[in-house]
Amino acid sequence: MTTLRTPAPPRPAEPRAPRRGYRRKSQPEAFGFLTPWLLGAVALTVGPMVVSLYLAFTDYDMFTTPHWVGFGNFTHMFTDDDRYLRSVEVTLIYVLVSVPVKLAVSLGVALLLNTRRGTNGFYRAAFYAPSLLGASVAAALVWRALFTGGGPVNEVLAGFGWHTPSWVDDPNFSLASIVLLGVWQFGAPMVIFLAGLKQVPAELHEAAAIDGAGAFRRFRHITLPLLSPVIFFNLVMEAIHAFQAFTPAFVIGGGRGGPADADLFYTLYLFEVGFQDFRMGYASAMAWVLLVVIAIVTAIVFRTAKLWVFYEDRP
Amino acid sequence: MRRMRARGFGVAAVAVLLLIGTTACGADSGDGGDVTITFAWWGSDGRANLTKQAVELFQKKNPTIKVQTSFSAYAAYWEKLATQTAGGKPPDVMNVDTRYLAEYGGRNVLADLNQGAGKAVSLADVNPELAATGVYQGKRYAVPWAQNTPAMLYDPAAFTAAGADPAKGLTWDQYADATAKVSAASGFAARGATDFGILDTPLEIWLRQQGKQFYTTDGKLGFSADDLRRYWQLASRFRDTKGASPADVTASYNTSPEQSPLGKKLTSSEFAYDNLLPAYRKANGKNLNVAPYPTGANGDLGQYRRPSMFLAVSARSQQQEAAAKLVDFFVNDAEAGKILGTDRGLAPNLKIRAQLSAGATGDDKTLYAYEAALEPKLGAAPPVPPKGAGAIQKLLQRTYEEIAFGRMGIDDAVTRFMSEADKSLA
Repeated sequence: MTTLRTPAPPRPAEPRAPRRGYRRKSQPEAFGFLTPWLLGAVALTVGPMVVSLYLAFTDYDMFTTPHWVGFGNFTHMFTDDDRYLRSVEVTLIYVLVSVPVKLAVSLGVALLLNTRRGTNGFYRAAFYAPSLLGASVAAALVWRALFTGGGPVNEVLAGFGWHTPSWVDDPNFSLASIVLLGVWQFGAPMVIFLAGLKQVPAELHEAAAIDGAGAFRRFRHITLPLLSPVIFFNLVMEAIHAFQAFTPAFVIGGGRGGPADADLFYTLYLFEVGFQDFRMGYASAMAWVLLVVIAIVTAIVFRTAKLWVFYEDRP
Repeated sequence: MRRMRARGFGVAAVAVLLLIGTTACGADSGDGGDVTITFAWWGSDGRANLTKQAVELFQKKNPTIKVQTSFSAYAAYWEKLATQTAGGKPPDVMNVDTRYLAEYGGRNVLADLNQGAGKAVSLADVNPELAATGVYQGKRYAVPWAQNTPAMLYDPAAFTAAGADPAKGLTWDQYADATAKVSAASGFAARGATDFGILDTPLEIWLRQQGKQFYTTDGKLGFSADDLRRYWQLASRFRDTKGASPADVTASYNTSPEQSPLGKKLTSSEFAYDNLLPAYRKANGKNLNVAPYPTGANGDLGQYRRPSMFLAVSARSQQQEAAAKLVDFFVNDAEAGKILGTDRGLAPNLKIRAQLSAGATGDDKTLYAYEAALEPKLGAAPPVPPKGAGAIQKLLQRTYEEIAFGRMGIDDAVTRFMSEADKSLA
């Protein structure tokens, strides 16, 4: 976790001139060695991105020659496409609910696992396991089976006298089941939190305990501030992931946005527009809007960081 | 220093070119006079086995042609086909649905089989009306691979107990009463009908029974907002009496028989196609039967010779002759017809159909008898659905779900449907 405590202490001053010379000399060979990566980056990432930026301003339909339509796609999105706005709404709800809940759950589990040293290897692995399944189709299929009509979740809740419809097929419950799937895969942030918790100096806790601070106050005033860089990192990563969620919504929502468009995630609508309705120009425009929005949200989180993220090595 | 940097880029550029060069060479592999064609279709594993057997027979009869096959489920098939087509490499021979015929044909992806190599595909023994369903804007983009009929699949035991016999033909009113009774008899555990408000085919048949059509020849909706309102009012009547499936069961509807409400034993009747009877029977476990759609006051069935699916040849194929040969084989080879059976529907070639019908047993026999009885009542086929038709079924489904879940009134849902459909078909 030391990497998160950047910036690193200033290095002792080096004589600059020789270093620069060395750098420049190595360039041709460096490009040679970089070729495999460069090839992948240019051919598979940068190239398609540039093309998609161009297509975003066209009416490309995958079969015929694209025509330039200027900002037509972008204005259509915000003025004449109710489903687009619906997909924005669904995605924002998902991000705003699933990210905080997932962070709280992963931090909570990390705190539990952090208390009894030595015995938690098994539990750590067990809690991490769901995340290994990641955004897999298999996990989503299992989820669908669990929350479907007459499935285990219905049965258990009925045992408590609460009769619910098929969660995945009811617009009032469907998104909740996808949020739960997202939260269940809390392993990655949990492991990072756990590592962060191990870095909190025990002597601070001991000193505070001697001064009479209870467990909650120690958590609030010692653990939380020292952990804030880790929370910051997890928040950024999870928010970016949540904006791009696709597989669970695709599988659980039956590949069409769920009942009455309850699970119409942004990426799902983008996929439908591009690959089912053949409006690839419009889909490209949507992809670029998503990219820009994620960049803006990330920038805002970074801007607010100085208000709440505490770095030990900064005054 | 500048030159050094430039040389660095030069090294990288050369490396890129070398790699691209080698991959380009790798793609080229021709051996002798043999040709290889690619062929893709949609369907389940069972259908895949039958199709592969037929392809093997084709290769045996045409030793110089090799066929590379691939198949996927319906929805995945279209996603894959769109990507392959955009990449300039659609399969040489492909399976096409009437909902997407205009989409692909109208964009010059499919070859006109009235021209060039396509003339080798003989349609002499195919019913001319059925054959015409593959023609869009004067060009024969596809030939029917099979013929089926929209039908009601139902559990005879449940309906007999409710005092109705769908096989003899019901009116919509009688069907509504019967489904309510079937639901009540099961304690509402299995409803009388799968809610048809979400489905485009029942809407089409219902419109045809009144002399209207789903799409006009110039590619617009053939029905008015008022027609749709009445259709959804009819469906809502079934829902209100609890004759039709509850909203969450309806929303779980999926075109595969195994995952549909009737297949999952949650309802006792469902609108589908007659050739799906064996698949539904297997999924449901009961001795299901096939019946025509309920009718209105005039008794018109509204049914027609429906191309269950098409075969088409890619306009960009380098092997048009071999591709046309494969299509002709599927349509006109008696042995191939025997292997494929009724899985996709009835054989398009009438001579082959007559042969197979004579020797049919079990479900096949039911199917041939059903279609034979229907034959004199079949009407003219509707025009090919326009571009954008693929999206209309999904639109119908999600707007009706708004009604079924009580989130929207019928009038509002109709308004939304009409405005979105106009945009889709524009």
